[in-house]
Amino acid sequence: MKSIWNKILKVDLTARTCKTEQMPDEVYQKFLGGAGMNAYILWRECPRGTTTFDPANRLTFAPGPMQGLKQSGAAKWTAGAISPSINMNADSAATASFGIEIKEAGYDAIVVHGRSDKPVYVIVDDEKTEIKDAADLWGKNAYEAEDGIQEAEGEKFECVTIGQAGELGVRYANIQSRKKSFVGRCGLGAVMGSKMLKGIAIRGSQSVEVHDPKEVDRLNKEINKRLAELDKLNDEWLQIKRVGTALATELFAPQGNLPIKNYQLADFPSGVKNFHASNYAKQLNAKPWPCQYCTIQCHNNCEVKQGPYAYKGKGPEYESFAMVGFNTMVDDIKAVAYACELANLYSMDTISLGVVIAWAMECYEKGVITKKDTYGLDLSWGNAEAMVEIVRKIGTRADGLGYLLGEGTRIASERLGGGSEDWAVQMKGQEIAAHNWRAQYISALNYCTGVASGPNHERGNSQHIWVGHVRLPEWGIDEVENEERWSWNKTADRNAKFHDYCNVINSACHCKFMEFRGYTLTDLCNTINAATGMGWSLEDLRRCGDRITQLQKLLNIRYGWKKEHDFKYPKRFMEPVQEGPAAGKVPVGLEGAIMDYYKERGWDEEGRPTAAKLKEVGLEDFIE
Amino acid sequence: MKVFINLKEWDFPNGTKFIDVVDIIREAKKNEPMIKTIREKTGKANIILFALNGRVVQPQEYESLEIKEGDNIRWFHPYAGG
Ligand code: SF4
Repeated sequence: MKSIWNKILKVDLTARTCKTEQMPDEVYQKFLGGAGMNAYILWRECPRGTTTFDPANRLTFAPGPMQGLKQSGAAKWTAGAISPSINMNADSAATASFGIEIKEAGYDAIVVHGRSDKPVYVIVDDEKTEIKDAADLWGKNAYEAEDGIQEAEGEKFECVTIGQAGELGVRYANIQSRKKSFVGRCGLGAVMGSKMLKGIAIRGSQSVEVHDPKEVDRLNKEINKRLAELDKLNDEWLQIKRVGTALATELFAPQGNLPIKNYQLADFPSGVKNFHASNYAKQLNAKPWPCQYCTIQCHNNCEVKQGPYAYKGKGPEYESFAMVGFNTMVDDIKAVAYACELANLYSMDTISLGVVIAWAMECYEKGVITKKDTYGLDLSWGNAEAMVEIVRKIGTRADGLGYLLGEGTRIASERLGGGSEDWAVQMKGQEIAAHNWRAQYISALNYCTGVASGPNHERGNSQHIWVGHVRLPEWGIDEVENEERWSWNKTADRNAKFHDYCNVINSACHCKFMEFRGYTLTDLCNTINAATGMGWSLEDLRRCGDRITQLQKLLNIRYGWKKEHDFKYPKRFMEPVQEGPAAGKVPVGLEGAIMDYYKERGWDEEGRPTAAKLKEVGLEDFIE
Repeated sequence: MKVFINLKEWDFPNGTKFIDVVDIIREAKKNEPMIKTIREKTGKANIILFALNGRVVQPQEYESLEIKEGDNIRWFHPYAGG
């Protein structure tokens, strides 16, 4: 097989060794790379009983067969481990160029295990690897850590780093790269911190051999041109490079998809006005800041020159400002952008952060916490100053509420009590993202049944059938009626397909935003074939996605998943909003839909893969 | 004549223009909430975009272009991500 090296790097922080290991073709033929590789490494190396902060937990950074190809979207990579938020296997993807450098250094993955007795960072310079002292960097924020490593090693290294929240075990700590891209969900930054690993820096100079270079080149040109032309044909305000995903607000608001006031309201006019794309562009001075090879360019760099929220750096993406802004009712766009960048510096996932703060605001409103608990802050809805300050308290794990909120809403609500579990919008320990289940019931089903990373809008993005009109005609998702968003019609089938699609994409390692702008599953299949020589059909592609989903489910079971967890959805799921397009809509019948999904997946009544299903996808040897 | 729209087989008489396909898709999608929103914002009817055999069809070509047997047409919605 081509477009891989058949080689991974194993870093043991306890023994302070770095070793390479050969990986046979069959692993890639089964799991491709990226998310599939993460799952495979956990299955092989982290038996039942391994826990998140156990040195034995494996933190895997993996690109896939797409890295090294100069195709728009081919800058993706993933990280995976047993997560501190959901206490099960989880993975999360990022971009920037870290994955490309892993590939160019001659590896298909870096697997970190063990625990250092003092802070360290790892340097990979092609074949040369070293574990170095990071005492000077410990306690610094994530960007300072990247600067520090680059100062010591040279700017040509691509880095991943964590900030204080990762060091201090915030359960939704993230991992950043290039000050603009984040392994956001499931707290993998806390796993890194538990290993005393402040960062990894890598550079490489090797080109991986592909199966059919001419065809890869032809596909790259055709696809890159198509995506760029489609983007150009759009009206200016719809061009992603202007403000990135921020432009989604105006499209999501009329669908009732926004999360407002801890998901209690349907409208927030001042928020919609202030987070409007043109206001975003003006107030934040947004400029495109794309990943390598990308023609779509969603990332942007912002600058607020004056005032209490002055900063220069990453512009908030839709999920970030929806959660930290809309969900907390803070409509000051500069304050929200600043808070999101603070979260990036501390290394915290802005989705979980927004839900956690909204939960705390509701606790404050209902008198479950008072100024005595909030360091004197008035944690009322919409209070920008208090919101920014509480981000600092969480990021530094300040004694009291700051520490508690760093545990995530599940643990925080269990400890605080006072009925606050009722407004903890989380499942399995992870907070729900900025796609409202009332706007399309399939989101609720996805949140309940996702196996890759707990409830996750990005690892089963079936909401985009409606909110984004994404179609997968290759797998039979094409004709869809608007009204179906509030029915369970075909939902099990569609949800399963989107779970598998996300697994294939995150294992090949390609940016899903390409599908929003003219990239197709046929393009993906053709590119994988030209690169690897595997000669897959579109059905083979689905089978690969299915196989990875099944393996992730086996891992869920290994690490303690129970059927009841799928049914323990947030109470708020069944609380309707009173106005707007989704008024009165709640996903009644969700339990039945979950059971239908089990059946669709080839799982038994208890939600476990059957032996026949595992055999069908080639996982008979993985039965425990 | 058989052509494929989003991989589904359609029958069209010889001489069918690309604009006929465009009209069918536009008509089918016109009431979808996001299409309506974008149309209201931009005032433009031409929101859905098309590719023919992997290449983007420019709107000025819709009227003149004739589709051919076996053509592979895809339509794309101008979505933002998130
Ligand atoms: S769309 Fe955004 S995240 Fe995806 S490759 Fe382009 S700049 Fe990176």
